[in-house]
Amino acid sequence: MEGLIAVVAALPLVSAGLIQLLSGRLGRGGARLSVAFVVATFGVAAVALGLTLSGADTGQATLGGAWGILLFDPLSTLMALVIAGISLVVHVYSLRYMADEPGYLRFFVLLDVMTAVLLVMVSAGDLITLVIAWHLVGVLLYFLLGQDTRDTSAYRYAFWTLITYRIGDLPLVLAAALLYHAFGTWSLPEIFAGLAADPGMPTFLGLPLAGTVGGLVALAAFARSAQFLLHTWLPYTMAGPTPVSALMHAGIVNAGGFLINRFAPVYVHTDDVLHVVFVVGLITAVIGSALMLTQNDIKKSLGYSTMGQMGFMIMECGVGAFSLAIFHLIAHGLFKGTLFLGAGGVINAARAEDGAPKEDLYTFVVERRPARNRLPWLLMAAITLAVPISILALTHWLVAQDYFQKQGAIVLLFFGWVTGAQLLFATYRMRAQNLWRLVTLSIFSFAVVVIGYTLISHAFDLFLYPDEAFRAQIYAAAQVDLFWFDLLVGLITALIVLGWLLTYYAENNGQPSRTRASRAWMSFYALVSREFYLPDLYTRLTRALLAAAGRLNIWLRWV
Amino acid sequence: MSLSYLLAAVFLPLFPLSAVFTAVYQRLGHPALRAALLLAWPQIGLALVPAAGGPAPDWLAALALATSALYAFRAIALRELGQWTAFLAVSLWPLLWLIGPGAAEAGSGHLHALGMSVPLALLALLTGGLEQRFGAAYTGLYAGLAQTVPRLAGVLVVAMLASAALPLFPAFFTMLALVVSSTQAAPAASLVLLAIWLLWSWAAARMVQGLVIGPADPDTPEYRFADLGRGPAWAYAAALAALAVGGLILSGGLP
Repeated sequence: MEGLIAVVAALPLVSAGLIQLLSGRLGRGGARLSVAFVVATFGVAAVALGLTLSGADTGQATLGGAWGILLFDPLSTLMALVIAGISLVVHVYSLRYMADEPGYLRFFVLLDVMTAVLLVMVSAGDLITLVIAWHLVGVLLYFLLGQDTRDTSAYRYAFWTLITYRIGDLPLVLAAALLYHAFGTWSLPEIFAGLAADPGMPTFLGLPLAGTVGGLVALAAFARSAQFLLHTWLPYTMAGPTPVSALMHAGIVNAGGFLINRFAPVYVHTDDVLHVVFVVGLITAVIGSALMLTQNDIKKSLGYSTMGQMGFMIMECGVGAFSLAIFHLIAHGLFKGTLFLGAGGVINAARAEDGAPKEDLYTFVVERRPARNRLPWLLMAAITLAVPISILALTHWLVAQDYFQKQGAIVLLFFGWVTGAQLLFATYRMRAQNLWRLVTLSIFSFAVVVIGYTLISHAFDLFLYPDEAFRAQIYAAAQVDLFWFDLLVGLITALIVLGWLLTYYAENNGQPSRTRASRAWMSFYALVSREFYLPDLYTRLTRALLAAAGRLNIWLRWV
Repeated sequence: MSLSYLLAAVFLPLFPLSAVFTAVYQRLGHPALRAALLLAWPQIGLALVPAAGGPAPDWLAALALATSALYAFRAIALRELGQWTAFLAVSLWPLLWLIGPGAAEAGSGHLHALGMSVPLALLALLTGGLEQRFGAAYTGLYAGLAQTVPRLAGVLVVAMLASAALPLFPAFFTMLALVVSSTQAAPAASLVLLAIWLLWSWAAARMVQGLVIGPADPDTPEYRFADLGRGPAWAYAAALAALAVGGLILSGGLP
């Protein structure tokens, strides 16, 4: 039964080998062979997940000696099915989409190898296998993004991706070395068992082992999931083929959330690493979303949208909602993959007819025409604040009565409340003719999303972490001091409410054109539209390093 | 420091004696001679180390790391493939000083050296092939090898990646073993090793992009340049595959 997971990973690899070896005989039919193998991969992955869902024992398949271990557990089988599914959609889409591109068969070989490596990565049961797969994903992505070897700009940005991913590989190597030194084995289950037995083991310059390894793993996850300061490659990789963009955004960039979940037994013994994870995720979510709003290119906008979503996923890990992050990465993968694969069609259709209905939402969002006649704003303010929190509280209370004892849950509730309130607030600013209908629809949509999100994430929690004590340990590791927690929540609430009041005041009293506030706002907009000058800064740094290396070569006479 | 150590520092190059290898390599014109030199040079160094007797001074490891880092950094700005190969060799081989006397006595040091040198030797042969076809193996002179000579470009890319310690190739496991062994004893050394590894990737990616990528010159008919024949291409591929298998064997020696 454990061997199924090895079969899942081996099938795409066999496909790649067959296409490469028989390319002369198969011709372009090799692509169909590739699709057939991925269908089989998906089928076997579905069987493996079915077995774990039906309560089959976890186990491992060992391919070699001290390493080459593949885990058969809920996390690996779930992720294997997701990757096989996304890969299958991308394969089928590519059959026709890539038909006129040079290197058609090479593309399918690379796609198959990438699928195999991703499957190995999610099921790796030892540190060497994990490091190898983690490293290879970056290299393969570099060549997939540069599928068109004539396109130098595609390779320029593929290079950014490669270097960022290599930067992310290095902390994982260091974490592997530390764990090996501490426990004398590469096997992840053995390491986790050893850590549970002696969590306070000091290491690396006197720092605690769990905290150091947790920090290093988080760094690797940040680079892979485009967290702030390591994100600049993501929106610029759009020159690659659309199927690769879909695969990358749906199944590669979200690997950071998977990695943190894989190392959950380490994080339960850390003190404050998850707080840092939360802060980094939060900053990324806010900045990614702000950058997304300033883009006028649909694919770049999708890139920054992914950055924002990845920030939210990492933030979920930071509050201890590990399984929610897995649900988030799957849901995001599916909808972002769909958006990418549909982007070309949307652009083509929009050239003929933009299709935007001249209704309330359009005039409000695009033409910036808020309503003049409104209901009493105090009534709306009450609805805005009370309805979302009631829906959230009731839904969460239904799945777990002790939910409100967990700080992580409160933080997510808080974000849910802000999102819901923002939705109603925006609705209130629209035209007044059919306001109640809009508000009702908004509340209904919000309730559907919240109920679905809560129930499914609760199911994920039970499936991925069936041990209740372990779940409690994860949330405990993410907790902060109650005083600071209350203070931060209060402060952020005050800031958001102040923002709403300022917007309300500005709209009621008109906006003077050249106030200090508007100038500051324009400066901020310029800063955001230039992406905080980070790509420029990195480019300058790269050029400076290259120039220094060149000067050094001249001084040393090229020997 | 004995004369044997001094000689070993030429063959397991330490700065400034590392200049001896790069100068000799650049003077040798024939690709086969260059390949032979790449295979033999570090083996001579490893053979000299036991003859020196006594433990190596502590500062030698620091100098080895500094030499490796220096040449890795310098390699990112290079545009000539032959020179790049030599610099990468001088960045890789000093790390053999760090694998420890145990490995040297057990003979695995020679295997590590071979694993580092074989992809470089393949690169030397491929550089000869490029020089024969285009007159020089220089980035920016002609782009788009992937279109004009796809088989040659393919094996060239894989050989470069193998040289830069890509997973499954022997240098990857050597680097992994070095990082693991240095993490506790010398944490700063492990950080330098990781930085060197990153610089190799950077240098390799720049070389790939300069040679293989880009639109082929429309004025240059593709048929002017014969691609690598099927036989030689398979031979190179088999050599690289054998190297990967060798890497897996070498991984058995991980601590």
